[in-house]
Amino acid sequence: MITTVTLNPAIDITLELNQFILNEYNLVHQVSRIPGGKGINVSKAVRAYGSDTMALGFLGGNTGHLIADKLRDYGIITNFWHIEEETRTNIIIVDHKNQTHTLLSDPGPKICKRDLEHFKSIFSRVMSQSKIVVISGSLPIDVDNDIYYQLIELAHQKKVKALLDASGIVFEKGLEAKPILAKPDLRATGNRVFDKVIDDQETAIKIAHEIINRGVEIAVISYQDTKDIIATKEEVWLAETIDQKVVNIIGTAEAMLAGFAIKLVQEEKEETDKVIRFAMACGLASALTEEEEFHTREDIDRCLPYIKITKLK
Amino acid sequence: MKVKDIMLRNTASVLPECNLEEVIKIMALQRMNGIPVVDENQKVVGFISNHDIIKALLPNYLGIINSNTFITEFIHLSKKLREYANHKVEEFMKRDIKTVNEDDNEVMAADMLIRYRIHHLPVIRNGYLVGIVTMKDLLKAMLENKENQENEKVEVK
Repeated sequence: MITTVTLNPAIDITLELNQFILNEYNLVHQVSRIPGGKGINVSKAVRAYGSDTMALGFLGGNTGHLIADKLRDYGIITNFWHIEEETRTNIIIVDHKNQTHTLLSDPGPKICKRDLEHFKSIFSRVMSQSKIVVISGSLPIDVDNDIYYQLIELAHQKKVKALLDASGIVFEKGLEAKPILAKPDLRATGNRVFDKVIDDQETAIKIAHEIINRGVEIAVISYQDTKDIIATKEEVWLAETIDQKVVNIIGTAEAMLAGFAIKLVQEEKEETDKVIRFAMACGLASALTEEEEFHTREDIDRCLPYIKITKLK
Repeated sequence: MKVKDIMLRNTASVLPECNLEEVIKIMALQRMNGIPVVDENQKVVGFISNHDIIKALLPNYLGIINSNTFITEFIHLSKKLREYANHKVEEFMKRDIKTVNEDDNEVMAADMLIRYRIHHLPVIRNGYLVGIVTMKDLLKAMLENKENQENEKVEVK
């Protein structure tokens, strides 16, 4: 079982209209309500491939129940701790005439110490039936920045491998627990990791090595939209996607993480380049599929030839 | 049709040490009438429902529920709930509970729900909790099941 953690999930409501005019009555042509949050997106991609997955985290109110219902409909097992405050809602206004996307982001509910303790208890129990856990995304208000460190430690106590995708201090603290794979989320920090800005391939490789030196087995740096550096202790790889018509960038990085999780959970070990190619193909398959739709195992197979992999070391 | 195709993929559960006040809150927030009780390794060790709680605190409530005495019993129940708020779930839970495997079929699940007069059936994979099935889920699935509809058409011919 691949388990995912989303501490601050959201429902993304996209309102599409011909033209959005302030202070006017605007008729919306299309509405979609999609559960969001990094861990949830990983679970969706794992499920798209057909593997089993369980989503954990916090949910609250009617929005929380809406998210849980949708995830179960996708075939994802849920074990969320329900809180009294409402789960956040992000509103995305898509104006077709002016080609604009306006995002109104809700900071989300506060999580109290008692809720966190209950969540950690659930997490620890669920690790008994998990082989891999993907811990990713931003933290809710008032949650300590070493929470991912604590969760990875709990996973290791039950011999579960952990994948970490986070940013800033939360990422750095998480690394101290030595997850098997770590990927800094560069969007939230202006491409900055360990106080260095990643603006070229050379810096990406340096940062990947720095992550490996902290006890991680696989470091993934997505330093450009179509380019990733993947490093292990012995090897460094550059993975690129060959030009394709991308229709959706939401969830691409999470689909790639799902790809790594699917391969790492397998009994038989595959060669590194094959694992990287598969993970990148998962990301590409997601990018070529509209957000409200699901890519399939066949889509991933079709994407494999569009991944170029070069061994740099 | 397999149980895994109709079950509610919710594995919300509580530990036997959870107290009564907490389990009532958890069931309310989860919008569940009953919840599986698991050990530290997520193995099902019991089940607790609203019914089990009321029955334990008000042993003869089924006998008085339609009578005028229920109002006084209701006050008694409120008092008892406050009194027992810190007591552990393991005092009230059903221990010898029936479970179903996710690969079992819907007939087996329906048979168990009816035979043992239970409302919830925890679903297990390799001994671990992966969902829950209720008569409501079964009825909905039976109504929507295309296989059954196809078979009926063949029979009519």
